[in-house]
Amino acid sequence: MIGSRAEKCWRAEGLLRAEATAVWAFAVRNLQMATRNVFLLFELLFWPVVGVSTIGLMTRFLALSTEDAAFVLIGQMAFSIVSTCQLDVAYSVIYDIWSKSMKHQFLAPIGIRHLTIGSWTVGILRGTLVFLLTGGLAAWAFRINVFDPGLGPVVTLLAGCFLTAWIVGVCVCALIMLFGGRAETAAWAPINLVLALSGIYYPVSVLPSAAAHVARAIPLTYFLDTYRSNFGFPSAYPHAALTGFALSAGYVMLSHWALLAAVGRARRTGLLLKMSE
Amino acid sequence: MLAIDARDVAKTFRAGWIGRRETVALDGVSLGVERGAIFGLLGPNGAGKTTLLSIFATLLLPDRGRITVLGLDVVKDATEVRRRLNMASGNASFLWNLRPPEILSFYGRLYGVSGRALRRRVDELLTVCELDPHRRVPYNELSTGLKQRLALAKSLLNDPELLFLDEPTLGLDPDVSTRLRRYVASLRRERGMTIVLTTHYMREAEELCDEIAFIKAGRIFARGSAGDLKRAIQLGDVIALRLDPPDVRLDDAPGVLRAVAANGWIEYTVDAAEKRVPELLQRLHADGVVVRGIEVREPDLEDVFVEMAR
Repeated sequence: MIGSRAEKCWRAEGLLRAEATAVWAFAVRNLQMATRNVFLLFELLFWPVVGVSTIGLMTRFLALSTEDAAFVLIGQMAFSIVSTCQLDVAYSVIYDIWSKSMKHQFLAPIGIRHLTIGSWTVGILRGTLVFLLTGGLAAWAFRINVFDPGLGPVVTLLAGCFLTAWIVGVCVCALIMLFGGRAETAAWAPINLVLALSGIYYPVSVLPSAAAHVARAIPLTYFLDTYRSNFGFPSAYPHAALTGFALSAGYVMLSHWALLAAVGRARRTGLLLKMSE
Repeated sequence: MLAIDARDVAKTFRAGWIGRRETVALDGVSLGVERGAIFGLLGPNGAGKTTLLSIFATLLLPDRGRITVLGLDVVKDATEVRRRLNMASGNASFLWNLRPPEILSFYGRLYGVSGRALRRRVDELLTVCELDPHRRVPYNELSTGLKQRLALAKSLLNDPELLFLDEPTLGLDPDVSTRLRRYVASLRRERGMTIVLTTHYMREAEELCDEIAFIKAGRIFARGSAGDLKRAIQLGDVIALRLDPPDVRLDDAPGVLRAVAANGWIEYTVDAAEKRVPELLQRLHADGVVVRGIEVREPDLEDVFVEMAR
């Protein structure tokens, strides 16, 4: 009895270690690729800094109040964080498209959770760096301290950004596995639409009514709403953060299923092999 | 005991949303590969070799058929199958700016190897595949031969029971190819690995494979040992003779299929050399003809390939 329990524990530990190792493989690979490519620094430094500087200067030109300036700057920071993190998730298949090495990772006994979680981990790391960098810049250059609301709201906002990035990134991966390298541009395009709809620079209430309905289906809308409520903007939704997390959980499952189905289809149509030639 | 048991495997590729084009890649292939064997898949371009290999390796789903690999169903038990096999392609490609140890470590982790065990395995494979001096070179700066060796090293990371080699010596120098072939043979000898390889080099197939299947238009056209295939195709053996006087002809002798004269030699293609040589020599002796030279040659696999591909 004890022996069988010990054996179960040993097996569970082995499985857990194998899971962690496979996830770690993708995290290390993304990190190595990021550190070897000078242009990837642009994603981390150039665009976020340019974005916050431009928007900050615009708020100065328009003579916005500190609260209003904080509103748009938080949106801009969320834009940079989500973009950076979702690109990392998308890189989990884009790197293999570029290097034509797709089949090797799918020949190994891994699940798609390993490649998405591993890449997402690096995205979280890079997204956090972007947040700290742009937050520091906003405080220094425009006297707007986005860290003011404290650790809880900051962590909630970041979690919302990273979950949104995961969902969009995994959907991009699914599109690539469905249409091949042609869908590669999707890595950079859909995130802009999602962010525009979730009200990065404006309240969702100013959107046309059809778009506002769509915005209500986007988790980031609720996370931005919650965070901005700390800067004097009353929340438009009851239990906004909770709604955001519930929606995210649903989309995480849906996007995971979509990628799973797309990989299955690529195995059926031979696209998986074509992407390795 | 079979490492691969495939029955009635079919695969058709479909392309285009409007005006769909269909290409039949495999059309009812049945095949068995013994454990511990080196099995060759030969055939012209587009015959279906890589498709069949990819289905066995779980990279491609068949439309029809039942396939067990190492006793497991390739569709239902795909993850378990993947744990126990691996594959190296002649045209393999990896992430361009990673170095050989990083590439091997990445794939090693995907097979659950980590920490000290991973470092040891990577070092061992870099040594075995003679990649040690190139540890610091990014993948895109490696030569074709080194890339191929890296692909082979990657395919050995999980110490597979079944190894697929898709054109493993494509584009390699003859000396590198020879070394690689020797290493492949040693894998079977020392580790009892089952190896299935596709190749365009007949010499490679003849040297390595216990059994060969010839695929053409998605069907197994013939299978057996190299000798079996030669016999099946009835290409015949060649007996070359240099005679005195040189104009003696034996075209009407039993078993002679054709005769060609060139450079003072006459080449007789016969059904079976071991039977016909004594008969021909006897007849020549009886006719008082002096035999100045004799050579007996079996057709090589290249001749079989050309004949079958027709």
